[in-house]
Amino acid sequence: MVIFSVAGKDLLRFLGDRRALVVSLALPLVLTFIMGLSFGGGLFGKSGISAIKIALVAEGIPELLRDRFTEGLEESGFFSVSWVDSNAADFLVRNGEVSAAVVLPDDFLRQALSFEEIPILIWKDPGSSLKAGIVEEVLSRGLREYQAGEAAYLGLWPEDAAAAGDSSAVDLVEKYFEGAFSTLWQSWREVENDSSWAEFQERTARIMDRQVALVEALGQPGIELEVQDKVSDQDVSQSEDINLFNYFLPTFAVFFLMFGVAGATGDFHRERKMGTLQRQLMSPLRALEFVLGKWLSASLQGSLQLMVLFLGGAILFQVNLGPDPWSLPLAIVLTCTAATGFFLLLTLLCRDEKMADNLKTIVVLISAMLGGNMVPVDSLPPWISAVGQFFFNYWANLSFSHILVSNRNIFEEPQPLLILFGATIGLLGASLIVFILRQRRGGLL
Amino acid sequence: MIQVENLAKKFGSLRAVDGISFQVERGVLFGLLGPNGAGKTTTINVLSTLLPPDEGKVTIGGYEVRLDPAAVRRLIGIVPQEIALYQDLAARDNLLFWGRLYGLAGKDLGRRVDELLELADLHQQAKQKVETFSGGMKRRLNLVAGLVHSPEILYLDEPTVGIDAQARSRILEMIRELSNRGMTVIYTTHYLEEAEQLCDRIGVIDKGRMVALGDKEQLIDQVGDQDIIRLHLPQDAHKEFMEDFAESTDCLGVRIFRGKIEVCTVDGARMLPGIQAWLSSRNLDLQQLEVERPNLETLYLNLTGRDLRE
Repeated sequence: MVIFSVAGKDLLRFLGDRRALVVSLALPLVLTFIMGLSFGGGLFGKSGISAIKIALVAEGIPELLRDRFTEGLEESGFFSVSWVDSNAADFLVRNGEVSAAVVLPDDFLRQALSFEEIPILIWKDPGSSLKAGIVEEVLSRGLREYQAGEAAYLGLWPEDAAAAGDSSAVDLVEKYFEGAFSTLWQSWREVENDSSWAEFQERTARIMDRQVALVEALGQPGIELEVQDKVSDQDVSQSEDINLFNYFLPTFAVFFLMFGVAGATGDFHRERKMGTLQRQLMSPLRALEFVLGKWLSASLQGSLQLMVLFLGGAILFQVNLGPDPWSLPLAIVLTCTAATGFFLLLTLLCRDEKMADNLKTIVVLISAMLGGNMVPVDSLPPWISAVGQFFFNYWANLSFSHILVSNRNIFEEPQPLLILFGATIGLLGASLIVFILRQRRGGLL
Repeated sequence: MIQVENLAKKFGSLRAVDGISFQVERGVLFGLLGPNGAGKTTTINVLSTLLPPDEGKVTIGGYEVRLDPAAVRRLIGIVPQEIALYQDLAARDNLLFWGRLYGLAGKDLGRRVDELLELADLHQQAKQKVETFSGGMKRRLNLVAGLVHSPEILYLDEPTVGIDAQARSRILEMIRELSNRGMTVIYTTHYLEEAEQLCDRIGVIDKGRMVALGDKEQLIDQVGDQDIIRLHLPQDAHKEFMEDFAESTDCLGVRIFRGKIEVCTVDGARMLPGIQAWLSSRNLDLQQLEVERPNLETLYLNLTGRDLRE
């Protein structure tokens, strides 16, 4: 069929064009990789979405130390922390009022000063394991930094501060440990009298910038985090861990797809400029065959782009590819056919390449914003969310969310796919009508 | 084979083609001659079904373009003015693609493509991308791409624009060869020498109108037995020269064109001594003089008062 000849020729050109391959496949993959990595540090903090609520159980711990602990957690930008007792924490976790509770042992101080292992518990709601995972990650990192910082402080700074006549640092440390510091400090004094003190100090200074090594050098106690599930009394629909990238990868991918397909459909104006469009129109090729051929090739290019991104996401970031082998490919294909129909229509409505490029850039950005590719749809005001439903990407995001985040078979909730299918047919039909009208008016020359 | 009756095509208020008529018999190489913007390409676009005519009737091989464009498209091959090829594809891939559009496939298509690459003398560069070709090579490939389905009629729209003399000569040779094989060819150009050299019949088009039509010899005969004498004189002598020679019995007309004086005369040789005497009496040096026998350019000048390359 001639449609396949037109599409095959375009694909051949696409695959032979290194620049197009880099822009359509390699670049989105690299950007996705960077974005994937960035999720390890500060997604919510960066996006301004409300902080994760956690409870802190720190009974039997001096208030100053408890304040410091709270401050450290809140400084991370992830959490909103409240002090509670263990019973209240248990209740709050079970009722989903907080995503997790951090439980410090009652004899935290004693364990710390006697160089014992300190067990810190994280109680989490299994239905909110994603957020609890973030708590665990941030806490363990923060604790390591805290340990190292405190160790350095204990080992070196108080002496320097005292020598300089500033006792506030020493006072602060003493307050942290409520007098236990003096015992600890005495042990350092004894070392100071030893002839090897200078050598020890030098060695300590050398490894100061390596925080974990410093912890070992100063013999600080290790801290072990243990995560415990507190099964909610309410119905927990989501019991498996969620990879946050399951949600964000499709939104990035659809965003890149929009640019890719906008570029691919722009080939219509480039062909017009080259004269190859006119040459095709002077052949027995019919308008329908030309439009379908162009649509098919751009859809295939888009599908290739999405497949590469999803496979990349699965390999690099363990993104879920859905519960079965057909849901995701079907969603990819329908997303691409609808996207191609949309941008093909826009292209055909534009007088020339420049006008088309400008319009498409604006439309991509607006539809990305309204359809949920920049900010999650849930966080948009309802009226914007309602407007977003007129954009194909809204339904594409929704279908990917069903498959990747909820791990549902696409046929369980077919509405997004049906809408994408309908949009494809409608947009393709409209593109064909515009093409024929332009052809009749000589507007393709 | 081709019949055009009172064809008109408007773009807004501009009548790009304004009621032209001509016919081309089978196997004839017909030249459509005119300056840029005369309406040649618009005529070709209508003849190739790319533009619908606003008025008039165009019949190609018995099919009317307005009523049966698909049948017309199967009969014709087009070589557009621009290099309408995929620069990022190999020469062979380009020809394969154009062949498929005409329903060719498999071995037949492969064989035909090989023949055309041979004809264009590009068989050794078949797998090279077109963007690596010289201007002449691209023009040759552009030409054979219009032949892939062995059309009965070939439209060539200024196929030698922007190439050197050697490449042009090769293209003209190919066109002559096609014509000798019995193909009907419509050739548009603003190069008079090409039209004179190649075409059996010529239509001269200007501002959308057909100002002359006929066999090459007939058209030149219309000009009559006239010579053009061109003189390069100091500018302050132009007015006096024109006044003195306008009344001369041998002079059919005199004008200034591109800084030179042009004298149209029935016999250049008879007029030259008089010009020489006029120059000597005024102590003027003749900076340049040439005498030209009648040709299509003379015809065009006579018909429109303008040079084809204006």
